[in-house]
Amino acid sequence: MALLAPYSKIPELNTATILLVENEEKVQSKLADAIVQREKDVNVNVRLACKLPLPVENSETRPRVDLVVFIVNLLSERSLQVVENSLNHLRSDFFLGKVCFMVTDARCGALAQERLLSVKKLAASHRCPVICAEHQTEDGISMAASRLLTVLKVSAGLSPVATTALYLSTLTRCTVPSELDED
Amino acid sequence: MNEEARAILQRVLRRLPSRKTQSTLRAWGCLSAQQLEDLDYTQPKWLLLENLISKCEESRLHLKDVTKLDMVYHIENPNQGTWHAFKLTEAEDEALSVDFTQFKEMFVAHLEEVVQHVSIRIKKLEDGAVWIRIAWGDNFTKPNHLKPTYAVHYLQTPYVFILNLAAKHKPFVYQALVLSTRHVSINEAHLTGRSLTAMRDLLMKQYQQVFPNQERTLKERNAPPSHPNIDKEHAEFAERTHQMACEAFGDGTVPKLETAVYKLETRYRGSNNNTLSDRDELFRGVVRFSSPNLLESLRHCVSTGMAEGPVTPLLSSITQKGRNYFVIAEKVPGATSQTPAHKT
Repeated sequence: MALLAPYSKIPELNTATILLVENEEKVQSKLADAIVQREKDVNVNVRLACKLPLPVENSETRPRVDLVVFIVNLLSERSLQVVENSLNHLRSDFFLGKVCFMVTDARCGALAQERLLSVKKLAASHRCPVICAEHQTEDGISMAASRLLTVLKVSAGLSPVATTALYLSTLTRCTVPSELDED
Repeated sequence: MNEEARAILQRVLRRLPSRKTQSTLRAWGCLSAQQLEDLDYTQPKWLLLENLISKCEESRLHLKDVTKLDMVYHIENPNQGTWHAFKLTEAEDEALSVDFTQFKEMFVAHLEEVVQHVSIRIKKLEDGAVWIRIAWGDNFTKPNHLKPTYAVHYLQTPYVFILNLAAKHKPFVYQALVLSTRHVSINEAHLTGRSLTAMRDLLMKQYQQVFPNQERTLKERNAPPSHPNIDKEHAEFAERTHQMACEAFGDGTVPKLETAVYKLETRYRGSNNNTLSDRDELFRGVVRFSSPNLLESLRHCVSTGMAEGPVTPLLSSITQKGRNYFVIAEKVPGATSQTPAHKT
């Protein structure tokens, strides 16, 4: 089983690649459009996948992946399961600031809150940030796109301010409140 | 106009939405254009009913004409009530040459021979459907027009759809249908639903089917991403699952089936519950799928990867066999069951 590795390929000049993983493919295409249209300075590639591992046939053409985003729809149990299974297909170097979680539909119902908690725990145990996004409105999508772009630029090494991905990871990673750790 | 005619008129009028009332009355064709003009369709229904009744009395309409309106209403609204599909089997040689007049005469003759008081009305529509309305009475009572049976048959096809048929009248209708269409027997097709058109489309395969070697339509559908910088990693995989879903459930607009019922007569299979799995008796249960458009939802589940492929024959036989009621029996060596036993 081939793991996806972050440093196996040489980066291209002024280019960043983001991989959006979503089981249901509802949000990812809208988000991808928003991302490529929003960014003008840097050449951003977006790869869409419904789960990991990625097909072997594409491995030659696939550029170096700088950020992996797992999109979890809180209304669907399966979406969470797929993300949990997909995490095993990433090399551990990715977790130094090159993975983030994005949850949608976080406002709906009690069931969603339980799943939100398990996503947070998952993210905390992998030292990754969690971003909550609104996918039903245009504004929500473009906001989510801009937040992802900010993270992407850092993890691709394009941002002069936050220089290392490791540094970013310590600042943005998800922490679960301590009382939740006990149970 | 007697009480019964008034009751039928009232019932039809009550069910009709106000904006459709005029067109339905026009399709009925028993009132003159002037009389239709005179009616005020914005009136409350009870008032409209009184006016309508006076118009009918003006034109000396009888119960017979009013039942025609009931039929017009059912033809225009075939999605009321539960239809059952039946299949005629073992066609005789003359079955292909039965025409409408012949069918009509034979059907009426055969039915009137065995039931004394029965009122039958038969109409052929432009799309080839023959609509039959039967009001039943028995030896001492007149036909009850408030509980008619409707049957729809397409000549030269083996399918009949029946609405509202009481068990005691079944043998009469079966016999009349079999004899007048020149077949040997008639069986239930195990397909029921509210939508007559969907059942017809499903049985006569009047929807876009996809066959294993036919790939062009799907290639076109999988449009390339909107921007050169966006790539789909699983494009090929998505195309494959979509093809698989369409092969099982059809492409484009699929018949609007609402339910599928599986009756289980199998043993319990599971490792974690010993009291259930050790038993000798069957573990009986009913699995019922329901959705405003069942085939569409199943196709969506498969094509988006929510249900993993390949599609189980239990689901794909809804379209392949044109049924939505299945009995799943335990596979016993030597015994033949209608559907294969399925392990999960």
